[in-house]
Amino acid sequence: MRVGDIAAGRAGDKGDTLDLTLVAYDEHGYETLSRYLTADQVGSVLNRVVPGPVQRYDVPRLRALKFVAPAALPGGVQASLHAGLHWQKAAIWLLLDLELE
Amino acid sequence: MAGQKSSFAIGAGAGFAGDRIEPAVAMAKSGQVDAIGLECLAERTLINALKMRDANGEGGYDPRLRRRFHPLLGALGGRCRVLTNLGAANPIAAAKAARALAQEVGAPQLRIAAVVGDDVAGRIDEIAWTQPTAGGEWIGAHVYLGIEPMAEALAAGADVVITGRVADSSLFAAAPVQTLGLSGDALAGALTLGHLLECAGQLSGGNLSEPGLPDLTAADLARLGYPIGELERDGTAVIRLLDSDPGRVNAVACTLQLLYEVHDPRAYITPDAILDFSQIEFEPIGANRVRMSGARAGPAPAQLKVVGFLARRGLIADIEIGYAGTGALARAQRAADVLRVRMEAALSPADFMIDLVGVSSVLGVASQRLQADPPEVRVHISGSCTEAELAQMIEDEVYTLTIAGPAGGCSVRSERRPRIETITGFIPRERVQPRIEWEDAP
Repeated sequence: MRVGDIAAGRAGDKGDTLDLTLVAYDEHGYETLSRYLTADQVGSVLNRVVPGPVQRYDVPRLRALKFVAPAALPGGVQASLHAGLHWQKAAIWLLLDLELE
Repeated sequence: MAGQKSSFAIGAGAGFAGDRIEPAVAMAKSGQVDAIGLECLAERTLINALKMRDANGEGGYDPRLRRRFHPLLGALGGRCRVLTNLGAANPIAAAKAARALAQEVGAPQLRIAAVVGDDVAGRIDEIAWTQPTAGGEWIGAHVYLGIEPMAEALAAGADVVITGRVADSSLFAAAPVQTLGLSGDALAGALTLGHLLECAGQLSGGNLSEPGLPDLTAADLARLGYPIGELERDGTAVIRLLDSDPGRVNAVACTLQLLYEVHDPRAYITPDAILDFSQIEFEPIGANRVRMSGARAGPAPAQLKVVGFLARRGLIADIEIGYAGTGALARAQRAADVLRVRMEAALSPADFMIDLVGVSSVLGVASQRLQADPPEVRVHISGSCTEAELAQMIEDEVYTLTIAGPAGGCSVRSERRPRIETITGFIPRERVQPRIEWEDAP
């Protein structure tokens, strides 16, 4: 089961910071995501592609988790060496495509 | 007039400078909205506007002003107002252009106001920057203004308010707050609604895929309805579409947008209040209709955020070359290896990136494994170049692959981007004094 099978997601950015939002489809999914996707676990996934630590924020009323990586986009999106601009809008698939046990 | 209306409908007519024109026109013609917000100013747009203002003192606002305003100004009728940040680096010049256009489309009665005071480029030293700024050249610095100057312009009778850098949430909250006279948690409701509306179609089905529901069709996305928020005096709101519009307004779409580009959901900082989103609820109340409640406000921050743009010496060269047909992937990989060898002498590994478009150029090493050889693939290289000559060398190396590289290199494209860093800073609120300039009919 992929994270994307039980949650919707979206990536955003501000300056150096990458932010990823997951919204679980139901309460059970939210519990599953909360258990598996610790800040450390998500950090190790993101660090394959972007640098820096990851903080997690929980919004249980909305069944949502936020992952914020404040040093992930050095210099902001204008300074990126990726092809074209705004590659980071696809970064949510780093989480949506994670396999859950 | 504060105290008379019980609710206020604000439409999101645009969520970035290049956004579609029709949604705002449709909202104005519907007669169902009291005001329309047009969010047209991202970091990149502001950088371009600053360059245009440098080249021409009468420029520096969004060059799409005419295309956007020509169909809209005549459709406003007597009661729908417009607030937009498309003034970018030159709100006064934008207001002059809007004035001329209002006369042209037969709407001379419109009162047009420009909000200025966000440009703090002359006061770089007063700003507490959060990142190193040495060694770069300042392109500009703009403080995020709040509701106050926009509300003041509306109270004085403005039909069209044109700003530069203001907080997006404040741009959409200003009209309902001014009309309904809101404070405390009701103000938080207005700002939260503003934050929800600031990316327009991203609240109503755009950039959305969710488990258990089919994605919107191409036909729906091609004429996606943009969202309208009806704010009540108590700070709750109903988010909806115009009746005939396709789109998707549900709790998931609202939650994704609520938390979009938010860091701590209990402390989302706007110039007007620090917002707590942790108690927000989204209740579906009909087809493409959601009620929002639970917004909470903390105090207004003592410091206002500043965005600064710093040009670093040199530029980024971004180049691609294509390969197609049997063995395309293997030939592209070999071309990438050739480029790596050729770049070693010229650039340090941290200053260039080589990957395969269609395979690994977006998510890099985390991209999914290929299931089959792609029929076509492109090699991408970007290099951070201190000199234009170095960019030329990289472009030349890629073109050289067409005759001295693997077979069939084709379809080369290249672009050069300035190396511009976006820097965040803070300035004490009391040092920022926005003011209003009117562009009245002659």
